[in-house]
Amino acid sequence: MATFTLKSFTGLRQSSPDQTRFVSHVPSSLSLPQRRTSLRVTASRASPNLANRKLRVAVIGGGPAGGAAAETLAQGGIETILIERKMDNCKPCGGAIPLCMVGEFNLPLDIIDRRVTKMKMISPSNIAVDIGRTLKEHEYIGMVRREVLDQYLRERAEKSGATVINGLFLKMDLPENWDTPYVLHYTEYDGKTGATGQKKTMEVDAVIGADGANSRVAKSIGAGDYDYAIAFQERIRIPDDKMTYYEDLAEMYVGDDVSPDFYGWVFPKCDHVAVGTGTVTHKGDIKKFQLATRNRAKDKILGGKIIRVEAHPIPEHPRPRRLSKRVALVGDAAGYVTKCSGEGIYFAAKSGRMCAEAIVEGSQNGKKMIDESDLRKYLEKWDKTYLPTYRVLDVLQKVFYRSNPAREAFVEMCGDEYVQKMTFDSYLYKRVAPGSPLEDLKLAVNTIGSVFRANALRREIEKLNV
Amino acid sequence: MSISMALFSPPISSSVQNPKISFPLLSTKRFSLLSVTRASSDSAAVSATTVEIPKPASVSVEEVPSKPPAESSSDETDLPTTATGIKFQDAKWVNGTWDLKQFEKDGKTDWDSIIVAEAKRRKWLEDNPETTTNAEPVLFDTSIIPWWAWMKRYHLPEAELLNGRAAMIGFFMAYFVDSLTGVGLVDQMGNFFCKTLLFVAVAGVLFIRKNEDLDKLKGLIEETTLYDKQWQAAWKEPESSSSTLSSKK
Repeated sequence: MATFTLKSFTGLRQSSPDQTRFVSHVPSSLSLPQRRTSLRVTASRASPNLANRKLRVAVIGGGPAGGAAAETLAQGGIETILIERKMDNCKPCGGAIPLCMVGEFNLPLDIIDRRVTKMKMISPSNIAVDIGRTLKEHEYIGMVRREVLDQYLRERAEKSGATVINGLFLKMDLPENWDTPYVLHYTEYDGKTGATGQKKTMEVDAVIGADGANSRVAKSIGAGDYDYAIAFQERIRIPDDKMTYYEDLAEMYVGDDVSPDFYGWVFPKCDHVAVGTGTVTHKGDIKKFQLATRNRAKDKILGGKIIRVEAHPIPEHPRPRRLSKRVALVGDAAGYVTKCSGEGIYFAAKSGRMCAEAIVEGSQNGKKMIDESDLRKYLEKWDKTYLPTYRVLDVLQKVFYRSNPAREAFVEMCGDEYVQKMTFDSYLYKRVAPGSPLEDLKLAVNTIGSVFRANALRREIEKLNV
Repeated sequence: MSISMALFSPPISSSVQNPKISFPLLSTKRFSLLSVTRASSDSAAVSATTVEIPKPASVSVEEVPSKPPAESSSDETDLPTTATGIKFQDAKWVNGTWDLKQFEKDGKTDWDSIIVAEAKRRKWLEDNPETTTNAEPVLFDTSIIPWWAWMKRYHLPEAELLNGRAAMIGFFMAYFVDSLTGVGLVDQMGNFFCKTLLFVAVAGVLFIRKNEDLDKLKGLIEETTLYDKQWQAAWKEPESSSSTLSSKK
């Protein structure tokens, strides 16, 4: 890993005039050759202090990632501007946050509409398994409304000193040199409804792209494309007696009818339920999958009214380039959504915070100019902390969402107490917790058994087809 | 009178199963009924009209909850409120699980028939996905069928097949190598190259059972490493590092 970063870093150095500039400015002990050998680069000590101004950073996008990043930047003494295109945006979203997010981001408990403590997993043959017996009293999955959460984080950023602008980012001009600013072109909406907004420009030293799955910042820096899933969701208001069943319970439906590579869900929201499904490979059939999901939950949502239909892309893996010079991507724009569960809110907020922390540290609280090495430190820290989690979930998705027998085995496995404990531990606290080896062995044997039985039944089904 | 009954009964039953279609169907039936009653004699017409009026009212009551989406106000869409239609039914499927007592043969449970019954149920559900209800949860767990029943039914026949293949390959390879090199079977086992061949033959028999398996294996290897490659992409710089155009994935 060290050689990779080193190679890439030197490869990105602009042109020789910069190198000579460094050599002339700085005594030989801090010259470039030494940087080649040691990777412990502290703040861009080679870059001079910013003359009588603080570092200016723009955060594009005011969702969880943008809000968390802007707050950390502002608290670190950096001049922060947050640009969000729609202040009351109800982003289509499952809306589930893990327990650790409440603690780590000091979220007030009234932001959480519901605490989900039980889950039901339903297999293709409608075998239903209850999950949640192992949860302790204080543990839950929080269901939030995105418009409430996003607004809260933005307000906190504003209170810490960030400037929040209601505007639409259009494009940005990349700088020529290491210390010339980025010029952002955006349309500012003045808060007057119906107005088309004014075209404006702004000069900033660094940019954090937190503008979601269809990120324009990513396009501006040539970050590359990713595969994405389409998540389709209908919000349904169901009668009160049916709503009590979903009081603190969420459901997950798996099956070829519901989705070929993902799952269908019924999540309770503040006063209605969200029924949805998603897919990567068969995006054209999403309506069919949605009907199948509604059909599987039909008895439980009988008499409901669809109040809203929404869809959104979900990235499946990170973009090839998550940063470029002094621009970094965080959250959905970078592609930090886990496989298997499709969780993104926590990772968006955490990556926003981590990137902002790297900028604060690299610029020594806004006093110095930063460069790509400071942002690379955020990438390193992120990959080191969360890559195991992403890998495990990827393996789970590959193994258990392949086919109906695999899904049957998956649901059977989820009935096991040990599995439930491990799953919730890793979801709620974002740790790949090491379990006991004996239990792991038992789990392995049981997994093989379940998969074998499910595949055996599949062969029996094929014999019947003939 | 009998005509009116006959004309009304089909629409009512169809409205239970197909709420969306019933509305235009009913309207045409009602219009045709009016024309029929007018065609009949006066006395019959009078009595027919008195009977007619309550009937449409009862039908319309049934119709209201199952309004087609196009008719609802604002952008709210009503979901169908009628209960579920066809469901999986079987005499031996009791309370969401198979009743083991009904599968007894000679005093012992016939596990094979349970396996076949469960396969039939899953096939049915794959073709006709059903809703889950809280009233009748599905509780069947395949692990109640003992491991030896699964072995006998699935593992043993397959093991026989694969061992047969391996034995045939082994016999002919041993003969072939012996005829070519003169090295007997015992001496072949001591040779490293022959041992490698043996390993390849066993692995081949195990993993390549159908023609498609070759491509599947190749795809599998690619698949297992893809996610990692996507994550490491941020650490690898493309050759043309100074270009800012997006690289096509």
